[in-house]
Parts: sequence; structure tokens; C-alpha cells
Amino acid sequence: MRILLVEDDALLGDGIRAGLKLADYAVDWVHDGDAARLALLDHDYQACVLDLGLPRRDGLAVLRELRGRGSQLPVLILTARDTSADKIAGLDGGADDYLTKPFDLPELQARLRALIRRARGAATPTLAHAGVLLDPASKRVTRNGQPIALSAREYALLLDLLRHRNHIRSRSQIEESLYAWGEETGSNTVEVHIHNLRRKLGADFIRTVRGMGYQLSDEG
Amino acid sequence: MANERRETGLHSLRWRLLATVGVAALLGLAISGVLSYGQAQHEAEEMMDGHLAQSARLLLALVSDNEAHLAELAKRLATVSNEHGSAYEPPLEFQIGRADGSLLLRSAHAPDAPLSGTPGYSVIEHDGLPWRMLTLAASAEPSDYRVQVGQSIALRDRAALEVAGQAVLPTALISPLLLVLLYFSVRRGLKPLDELAADVASRSPENLRPLATVDAPLEAQPLLLALNRLLGRLQDTLDNERRFTADAAHELRTPLAAVRIQAQVAQLSRDADDRQHALTQILASSDRATRVLEQLLRLARLDPLGGLPSRQEIDLAALARQLFAECGEGTGASPARRVRLQADDSPLLVRGDAELLKIALRNLLDNALRYTLPGSTITVFACRHADALSLGVADDGPGVAGEDLPRLVERFYRGGDARGEGSGLGLAIVQRIAELHDAHVQLENLAAGGFTASLRWPLADAG
Repeated sequence: MRILLVEDDALLGDGIRAGLKLADYAVDWVHDGDAARLALLDHDYQACVLDLGLPRRDGLAVLRELRGRGSQLPVLILTARDTSADKIAGLDGGADDYLTKPFDLPELQARLRALIRRARGAATPTLAHAGVLLDPASKRVTRNGQPIALSAREYALLLDLLRHRNHIRSRSQIEESLYAWGEETGSNTVEVHIHNLRRKLGADFIRTVRGMGYQLSDEG
Repeated sequence: MANERRETGLHSLRWRLLATVGVAALLGLAISGVLSYGQAQHEAEEMMDGHLAQSARLLLALVSDNEAHLAELAKRLATVSNEHGSAYEPPLEFQIGRADGSLLLRSAHAPDAPLSGTPGYSVIEHDGLPWRMLTLAASAEPSDYRVQVGQSIALRDRAALEVAGQAVLPTALISPLLLVLLYFSVRRGLKPLDELAADVASRSPENLRPLATVDAPLEAQPLLLALNRLLGRLQDTLDNERRFTADAAHELRTPLAAVRIQAQVAQLSRDADDRQHALTQILASSDRATRVLEQLLRLARLDPLGGLPSRQEIDLAALARQLFAECGEGTGASPARRVRLQADDSPLLVRGDAELLKIALRNLLDNALRYTLPGSTITVFACRHADALSLGVADDGPGVAGEDLPRLVERFYRGGDARGEGSGLGLAIVQRIAELHDAHVQLENLAAGGFTASLRWPLADAG
């Protein structure tokens, strides 16, 4: 899953990016409001972590524009501004959550999970399909109760397919979801991950829709 | 506590007014009382003398006309003189006789004074008491009757006192009433001040809005205006402090948040390189927090200074050479940038604090090192211009965006491209040091490219 991180502080941004990567998110990091605006226009993110005090364009302005376009993207404001007035302005300005610095990395990760889950329209934290159970909080995957060991990319791919189980996912859509900028993908990396997932979860767990992409097989 | 102060009469305007006006009024009343008392006493004496004269003439007339009925007259007069009148009418005693001193008639208590005395008023002693006497001789010849009337001076005085007392009484009665009236007038007069005091007293410490001057009395206006100016300055200072505190919190929180998250990344990472990177970032973040703190403390120490505690003669050229020797050439901090020195040979003298000026110059140099691209050339300079002495740093970097230029000296302001490495306080400190040295900070993009930041001392004899 791909997340946009908007943070002007080099050291903090680097830390957040590393922390989100640990949770197997693909992270695009921009340093100012203008770059954030362009990134949000060009790419499809699952969530955005937004600082408020940004060079060039304030975080709230970025948020207003995003909501003005009718975007439903989950946005978590992460800022040093900690007064109630700031929080109210942020949440009323269209943010889905508000976290002040300094903060706890596991808490940030949990809040992002909750935001993404909510955006999916589901209240239960786990995703299940054909006996396969994925818990985003613990990042554990089981098949018929048996734990399955997945690599970070395999996990991210499974999560993406589970989240879009009713749609066919094209290879480029999957790549967009799995990889951040600068993480170049080989021509058949997605196929390799699909192959590995099928090996671990059953050959008919994922079906190939010829010429279009991949989708989870129907249950039963 | 406030009430305690208000009760101490000495410092209260109200009590002081009451005391002075009250004492003045009472003094006026007293003087007027004493004067009218004396006047009334004098008038009473005159009236009683007149009374004596009238009675004497009456008696003389009675005797002259009715010598035959003297015995009858004596009887009647005895009854009349015994009837006591009011206190204002002290009993009148009399003797009637002839010029040779023979006594024809006398009242019961009349003093035994010789009738042969010269006519007119006199004071005699009778039974050890003074008497006021009037002797009158018949003017028509051949009659030689003489009449002598007298009053006890003690009784006369008593009557006079009575009269004078009555005259003073209203004044005496009025004074307490006057004091009460004064008290209420003063209170009413000072009511606007009381209201003002109540307004100020009931305020919360955060309420620094100006006091209303519309209803205040004319005399209080200058005080109110001065107070409002003070409140305004206080509000400004407070706003600045609040902004500064908020900014300082923000600036410290960000590196601390970075320390925390990098530490957690190091904890959670399974990859050794990632962990190493996170630890390096923790060090960098804590360095950054330290730098922010140091600069904050430096500014906090500089801020309250009204002026420099001591000023020495300083050669700016020598100062630039010294800083260049310390951290210019061959500095390990930024090997990718070349630092040059351009200092006049002749001394450039200003008065001030060498340590502070060095801090300012070092901040300018730090900025240049931080915000120029590798390969840039940075010049530390101290020069004499036609109109000013200048001490500063120039570079051949990309310069500063026009809209950022005027805001650079603001605390915690960083230009749009800054990557948050600095404390955001460097130029604010330079600005403060310049103020303390009667210099100003000049920041400008050079036409040929590059940026220069300097302290400038205008030369007094410059056109």
C-alpha cells in the first residue's frame, strides 16, 4: 500500500518514512506543499500523512484543495501544533485524524491502519478470503489456522488483492500500490510475487484474467 | 489585600481631599465664628450702654417734672426694677440726687457712689465687683438734679456672652453638616476614579485591552492614555513572548520527535544497515535539538539587554581575520566549499562587544555554509565603504527568493527551500546583536548572482 508523506523536516521525515516502511507501506516523501499537491494529483494513495507548517503552501491549504476535488483519501495530520484550536481547524479542514509531535511510531502505524480500514468501509480489522486470514495490525497471515510466512512484498501484494477482491488488478496498478518513487521494479517482479503467493496459499487462490490482470478466485 | 491599601487613609486621595477641604472649611467657620462672636459682644455692650443712657434720661425727666411726687415715684420704680427681664436685660440700678451730693432716691441694690462725680460713663468698684455707671446732670437751669444709673459688669458680660453665643450658634451647628456634605461631594467627585480602579481590579491578568477613556474625567485622561500605551506595549511584548514560546516549542518538538521515531525505527528494524542509519539520524536530531536550545538561550540572554554592558574599541578587520583563522580556511565542516577572507588593512573601528560580534559573524558564515551548494565560494569580509563600515559574509550561491528576503530575520522563519537543518534563529540573533551595536543588518541578492549578509555601521560624515 502506498502512502504520501508530507514533511519538511529532513530528519523527522526520514524517520517517519523508515517507520512506515517497517509496516510494509510504500512511502512517497515530499518536502513542501506544492510538491504534495502535485503528488496527490498524479498518484493514487491509500493514505496521506500531512505536516501543517510547510514551505510554499500550508498543509491546511493542501488539504482544502484535496477535499475540494472531492477526494476521499484518508488524511492524518502530523504536526507540532497542539492546541485545541489547531486540532479543530485540522479536523474541520478535512483531516480524518490528528497526531501531535512527538508521537509514538506504533501509534502512528495503528492509526493509519484504522484510517485505511475505515476508508474501505469495514469495521473489522482483519481481512479474510477462502480460508486465508490477514491481520494488518500484527501482519500475520494464516491459512486454515496455520500461520503462513510471507515476505514484505508478498504481504503487500496479498493485502492489495484482498482490499480489491471485487476488482481485477492490473500489473501497473499493483506496482503503483507496492512501490514508492525510486524503487524500480523489474519487468516480471509482480509475476514472481504472484507465483510465490500461489505456492504458499494454493495454486487456485489467485486467478489470472488474461490480458487484464489478477483477482482473487471466488470463494468456495 | 487591595482593600487594606485602600483603607490606609494617608495615601488615599479621598481622605486627603476630605482632610484638606474639611480643615480649610472648619478653619474658615471658626474664624468667622470668632469674629462674629467679638462683633456681637461689642454690639451688645453698645446696646446696653444705650439702654443705660436712655434710662438715665428718662429718670431725669421724671424727676424734673414731678419733684413733688418723688416718694410715689420711688415706690413705683422699686417694683419695676425688681421685675427681672430676660438675660439680655441685666438689672438696672439707679440713684437720683442733687449736684451737692444729697440723695433723693435710690434703687434697692444701687451702688453707693457719690453723685458729685463728673457726668459720663465710668467704671466703679462696689462690694468688690465692677459696675458700669452713667452719671447724667440736668441740663436746664436752675434744676440741679443728677441721675446715676449702673449695671453690674458681670451681669452685662453674661448678657453680652449670651448674645454673642446666639450669633455663633448657627455656624457651630452648620459645621458637622458641612463636613457630611463635603464627604459626599468628594466621594461623588472621585467616583470615576473608583470605577476606573474597580475596572482595573476586576480584570484578569490576560485582559490587556485598553481602558475606556470616553467617560473618564479630564484630569484622569493623561494617566489613562499613559496606562493604555503601557498596556499596548505589554500586549505586544506578551504576544511576542507567546509566539516565541510556541515557535520554540515547535522547533524543539520536531527534532525530539525525530529522535523518538528514529529510536523506534532502530528498535523495530531487523536490518543492520537500517538500524545503523536510524542511530546516525538520532545523533543528528539530538545535535539539532542542542543547536536550537543553544541559540534559544543565546537569544534569551540577549533579549532583555537594553544596551551593551561594556563597549570596547573593536577592529572589524581584525575580527574577520580572527574568525577566518578559527573556522574559515581548511574547516572540516564543509570541505566542498571554499572560504575566502577579504578584510581591509587599515583598522575599521567600532565600539562594542567583540564576543557578540564574533557570534554574529559566525552565524552568517554558518548560514552561508549551510545554504549554498557544494563547490560554492564564500567570502568573509570587513570593509570600509563610502557611507558605511560593513562586516559580513557573501557567497556565489543561488541567493534567496525575493519574498523570503524581508522575513529572514524573523525568529524561526526559514526560506521555502530550507530543509530544516538550522535552528531558524541565526539571523534573529544577528539582528539583535546589530541592534545592540547601533548597526543594521543588510541582506541582499547580488546582481551578479550570490547573496550577501552583513552588519553595517553608517558613517557619521557620509553625505
